[in-house]
Amino acid sequence: MAEAAVQVRDLRKAYGDTLAVDGVSFEVTPGEVFGLLGPNGAGKTTTVEILEGLRTADSGEATVLGVDTSRHPDRLKPRIGVALQTAALYPKLTVTEVLDLFRTFYGARGRTTADLIETFDLGEKRSSQTRELSGGQRQRLAVALALVNNPELVFLDEPTTGLDPAARRALWDIILDLRRQGTTVVLTTHYLEEAELLCDHVAIMDHGHVLESGTVKELVGRHFQERAVRFDQIDHLSDTRLASIAGVASVAHEHGEVVLYTRDVPGTIAGVLSMAAESGIDPENLTIRRPTLEDVFLALTGRALRD
Amino acid sequence: MQTLLQLTLANIRSFTRDRAAVFWTMAFPLIFILMFGAIFTGGGSANRVFGWADQDGSSASAELRVAFSALANVELRDLTEEAALADMRTGDLQAVIVVPGGYGAGIASAAQQPGPPIAIAVYTDPTQQSQSADTFRFVNTVLGEINLKLTGRGPVVVPEARAVQTESLTFISYLVPSILGMALMQLGVFSAIPLVGDREKGILKRLNATPLRRWQLVGSNVLMRLIIGIVQTVVIVSVGALAFGVQISGNLLLVAALVILGSMSFIALGYVIASFARTEDAANGMTSVVQFPLMFLSGTFFPIDSMPDFLKGIARVLPLTYLSDGLRQVMVGGTPFSPLWLCFAVLIGFLVICFAISARFFRWS
Repeated sequence: MAEAAVQVRDLRKAYGDTLAVDGVSFEVTPGEVFGLLGPNGAGKTTTVEILEGLRTADSGEATVLGVDTSRHPDRLKPRIGVALQTAALYPKLTVTEVLDLFRTFYGARGRTTADLIETFDLGEKRSSQTRELSGGQRQRLAVALALVNNPELVFLDEPTTGLDPAARRALWDIILDLRRQGTTVVLTTHYLEEAELLCDHVAIMDHGHVLESGTVKELVGRHFQERAVRFDQIDHLSDTRLASIAGVASVAHEHGEVVLYTRDVPGTIAGVLSMAAESGIDPENLTIRRPTLEDVFLALTGRALRD
Repeated sequence: MQTLLQLTLANIRSFTRDRAAVFWTMAFPLIFILMFGAIFTGGGSANRVFGWADQDGSSASAELRVAFSALANVELRDLTEEAALADMRTGDLQAVIVVPGGYGAGIASAAQQPGPPIAIAVYTDPTQQSQSADTFRFVNTVLGEINLKLTGRGPVVVPEARAVQTESLTFISYLVPSILGMALMQLGVFSAIPLVGDREKGILKRLNATPLRRWQLVGSNVLMRLIIGIVQTVVIVSVGALAFGVQISGNLLLVAALVILGSMSFIALGYVIASFARTEDAANGMTSVVQFPLMFLSGTFFPIDSMPDFLKGIARVLPLTYLSDGLRQVMVGGTPFSPLWLCFAVLIGFLVICFAISARFFRWS
């Protein structure tokens, strides 16, 4: 097996009395998109900043591209790209000037400014000062700056937070392109649908711990063998009657919908249809869906991610 | 090296695109020089303008006019008595001199046999004491010569003009180096604000994630301020020379050394402020707290020797006192408040202390 792109073992970091990172371990395979998920304050950013060589851990081991990030950050920095949580840009420099400037930090090797402006669709704004850019343009420029040295590994900290849907999709395309080109991407996010779409592996963090990690499929499979059958509430069908349908493991209610978690989807649907027919009602909006990361997160932490 | 220069260029661009920064570092000191310069040099060295009302029109009165206009710094305006007095009331003329009709004839007869003296009317405003005295000094000088000539005797005793450089500077030549010192102080102290701003915006952290070295970052900031400081020096000295004739008489190398050392000391003070200010607003407040006492208590606008003793004590511990004092000594030969070597020593010591404090307390994120 190839050497891991990122290797984290029992990482710990405290700020005063607060344990921001409390025994975190995970591994990132070269060429994959790895997602670090969790609510604000979960310790994602601290973990990533240790990996970027910006902070030193109190204890534990963090190796990126074979380099110990606490001991030799200077060896690591030329090989990685970084987009911080807030796009930190010189407000009074233009897009072209900022890109040119950052290229000189890496000896002006790697991708050209013109190429990056083209890739990130910043052509119209090339001569605008960065303070005049929209949120999406700023984020795209921040990611472009992370790529000026053609890095082997890119860290993107909450790259799509605060963006409108179109801007978010544009960034997703860029990240998927990076994966196609074989660049390893470590991404933090609190959007679970983003992680499902982009990430090969994810680790879910909360309160400084990794609660669970694996592929999205593994995580969902580990927590939910059942599928969810949903339909609009039918008044005189009691939960007890619904629970008696073949294969139904549990019954839940969500926004006026009934959710039946079941291992036998055809049997359950047949049962629901026959009960509804007895009452002379067609069940409306009948759907089947597999549980998502959102369900996993809910099960793991007992709260929704965006609380 | 390439990185250092590019980052310096980026800093200069950011600076010149910030109108407030440009105003404080470039326009503000110039406004001081132009304003004080205009107030304290207006009138004093300009020409004396006298109204000249010749009611005689003889060759003798024309000769008298030539004698007056031959004096340096005197301009005569030929007017009637009424018109001249009207102009004097509105402040256009310092005095009015009226040569009465019959002056020429009177002179001619006085040459044959002495009679009563001929009166030349001299109007001045006695409430303007110095101007009035100034006018009579001129008039007496001219009339004395005329009288001597008429009586046919050469002067027995004449003064011989000898120039001595006195130690008291004119106000404007005191002001130019002082304002330069103030401007360099502000340039340095104000470096705290964008620095804290860059930290607040996460720019310092972002730079830290690149291979950029910290000495390159600090070096580019210092280099950019030094370049601006040199531009400021050239502008301030040029305005002083062109608008007010303040000449730099000292050693240019010493001037340059003081400008660079002074800039660096106060940039270091800016880093000290940036070490303790968490936000850009806090940095703004702290720079004001630091710069105003420096500006007013370091002898920028009036000599420290003329301050009351307790203010003198304060001035003695302010670093700007030594920069401005040194600049006055090397630029215009000002009276030393402290010896030049001490000015250099204090600034070097101050630089080292500020550097040590910021090296210990400055935070990058």
